[in-house]
Amino acid sequence: MQSNLVNFIQILRSHEVRVSPAETLDAVEVATTLGYADRGLLRDGLAMTLAKTPEEEAIFMLCFDRYFQQSLADFSASEEQGPTAEEANTSPAENAAQQAHDFAATQIAALQLAAEDNPNLRSLLETPLMQSLLSNERNELTLAINQAAEQVGLQEIKMFTQKGQFTRRILDAMGEDQIRNTVIALEQVASPALPVLQRYRDTLREQVRGYVERAHLLRAEGKTRQFMDEILSKTRLNNIEHIYLHKVHELIRKMAKKLATRHSRKRKLLKRGRLDMPKTLRKGIPHDGVMFNTYWRQTRKEKPQILAVCDVSGSVAAYAKFLLLFLYSLQDILPKVRSFAFSSHLGEVSAYFDDYPVEKAIELVNWKYGGATDYGNSLLDFAKLALDDINSNTTVIILGDARNNNGDPKLEIMQHIYQRARQVIWLNPESRRAWGSGDSEMLRYQSACHFSAECNNLKQLERIVDQILKSSR
Amino acid sequence: MHIQDFPQLASVEAIEQGFESYGYICSRKIATAVFLAFQLRKPVLVEGPPGVGKTELAKTLAQLLDTPLIRLQCYEGLDEAKALYEWKYGKQLLYTQILKEKLGDLLQGAQSLADSVAKLHQFGDIFYSEEFLEPRPLLKAMQQEKGAVLLIDEVDKSDYEFESLLLEILSDYQISIPEIGTVKALSTPMVFLTSNNTRDISDALKRRCLHLYIPFPTVELEERIVLSRVPDVDDQLRQQLVGFVHSLRQLDLKKAPAISETIDWARSLLLLHAQHLEEEMVRSTLNVLLKYEEDIEATHAELRTLLKDSATDNSQAP
Repeated sequence: MQSNLVNFIQILRSHEVRVSPAETLDAVEVATTLGYADRGLLRDGLAMTLAKTPEEEAIFMLCFDRYFQQSLADFSASEEQGPTAEEANTSPAENAAQQAHDFAATQIAALQLAAEDNPNLRSLLETPLMQSLLSNERNELTLAINQAAEQVGLQEIKMFTQKGQFTRRILDAMGEDQIRNTVIALEQVASPALPVLQRYRDTLREQVRGYVERAHLLRAEGKTRQFMDEILSKTRLNNIEHIYLHKVHELIRKMAKKLATRHSRKRKLLKRGRLDMPKTLRKGIPHDGVMFNTYWRQTRKEKPQILAVCDVSGSVAAYAKFLLLFLYSLQDILPKVRSFAFSSHLGEVSAYFDDYPVEKAIELVNWKYGGATDYGNSLLDFAKLALDDINSNTTVIILGDARNNNGDPKLEIMQHIYQRARQVIWLNPESRRAWGSGDSEMLRYQSACHFSAECNNLKQLERIVDQILKSSR
Repeated sequence: MHIQDFPQLASVEAIEQGFESYGYICSRKIATAVFLAFQLRKPVLVEGPPGVGKTELAKTLAQLLDTPLIRLQCYEGLDEAKALYEWKYGKQLLYTQILKEKLGDLLQGAQSLADSVAKLHQFGDIFYSEEFLEPRPLLKAMQQEKGAVLLIDEVDKSDYEFESLLLEILSDYQISIPEIGTVKALSTPMVFLTSNNTRDISDALKRRCLHLYIPFPTVELEERIVLSRVPDVDDQLRQQLVGFVHSLRQLDLKKAPAISETIDWARSLLLLHAQHLEEEMVRSTLNVLLKYEEDIEATHAELRTLLKDSATDNSQAP
């Protein structure tokens, strides 16, 4: 049972519930304290140690039900028989059960009769698999399926395409091939026992198929998702198809949240303000009342302000979608983010992000500010809108390819921003080799940035922003 | 460490009954959490919307076990001097003043400075001993011989640094005081941490705790709670008012009414001698349930349909 619990925890992990080894130990302890008799109690108890948020608890409940669902259907082949089933509907249940039993008995008798002049069938009937099938030993069969599944490594299942393969392998491991061969042999002689044996074979197959199905749901769902996320975060942003937009949005949200918690406002001891008399006195006591160190009453919260400027012109349209998505998530999470968008002119779009859901907001921004690029003009607009607000606490992030259609780059404004802000960061979706080629002004703008980087997939974006936030403190 | 044994906590059912006898109707899940907390000696992190009885849980447990309840209210800027211990500086100063002459006498025989220092060393750290230690809630909970219920309320309001401070206490039930050494708990306290989810609690802290989420109760459970807290309300009114509160929770409100509000409302209806829910009465007492003006206004508009719904619900139920 313990290995069962460990398996279950493995599954939870693949569903993005983070369970540490220490928690695994706790879970085992909980299970031994509560016992395995009361399922609901065990579930609640395990949920308390393994799931740490309401969302995780919901996932836990789902997985628990799927994993510990061990009901196997009836193997007595009689159940699906037409006449018996009909009679069962009309006559009292007890009577029907008796009849079903009788029917099963006649079936077995028929098989045994046929076995007398068929050595193949006789040896088959003596195998443990057939024995438990005949006597409808559900526990033994479940056990056999479990063992076979372990033997063929069912826990490695990843894709839905593997389902058929695993079903076959489990059946083989259980010795189903013997039934199969016998059925073929019986077909050739057209034995009366043929339909009976066929029915047993089909029920068994169905059960195993169901078992594999459940295993796939449990194990592969999480793995496929992880796989997807991994791929998406490494793909160049302009190559991601539109249908994945909502998936990417989720990824970006997660990422932005991670960044925000890691870099949330930090308190810092001040060096001036009102004196904290009690504390200063107390700390002075070891020095016989001489106040060597002074302590101040206030602590200051760092309130980093971020101004994000995003190019939404045609040349970067494919990236802009994701960069806007990133801005949206960032504004959702960090308190002081102002977002701007531009192509030929620039405007503040924070309000759109606050008021509309993400897709609508992005659409509106694209519609309002999309067009041909004019960095010079846009920088002028930006200076008008926000230059006065830029101070030593401000980080300015510019997302764009710096392709200015050979217009005036207005470098002096960039220089101005550079001097006032704590940090100016330029993220360019083009690769470094292309910077400065053709109408790209990147090399010139670079001179007025504290930091500039190539950024064209989510992994890079996360790494860069993490770095920025770290150094901005 | 002494491990106190409480027969009241022998099984999940016993806990349920024990809590009920003190007027706290708990769901099976809550009872399981208390049982596990006691069996595994682990703290419980209780989360949930305000007013569902997180603090009350610890209070009732203290009553049930007949142990002191030690409460630490967290707030921004809470530090170890207020949570763990502090030296009684005043007393230390006073004693050094008083003992000045005594010390002079003691050191009279000393020949040299080194000699007198050696003499002083014989007395050990008199001024940094337990007599001069002012225990704050966390240390106090460790010092209770018969066990205690320690309630660390609204831990999400404290700073991250404070959470790290809690880690040693919660996993090993001990406190390191540099001048004295490690103080172990005389008897393991039952620890409850509550959080209103204003921010995420760090993983390190979560890992050490059992995690209990208390949601709004089901209709049936809430009726039992109202019955136990306000027994004088008659059956029909109780059903109606609980049904009404439940339908209120379905609305998009800034702050949904919690159990404590339901109880308050039941009490006020009782004071007003209400027999059943009347629109006028509900309208005038809505401020007991809802704490924001905009919520009250939103509800006013839909009051009639809400009342009709909760009335028909109840007529169908029996």
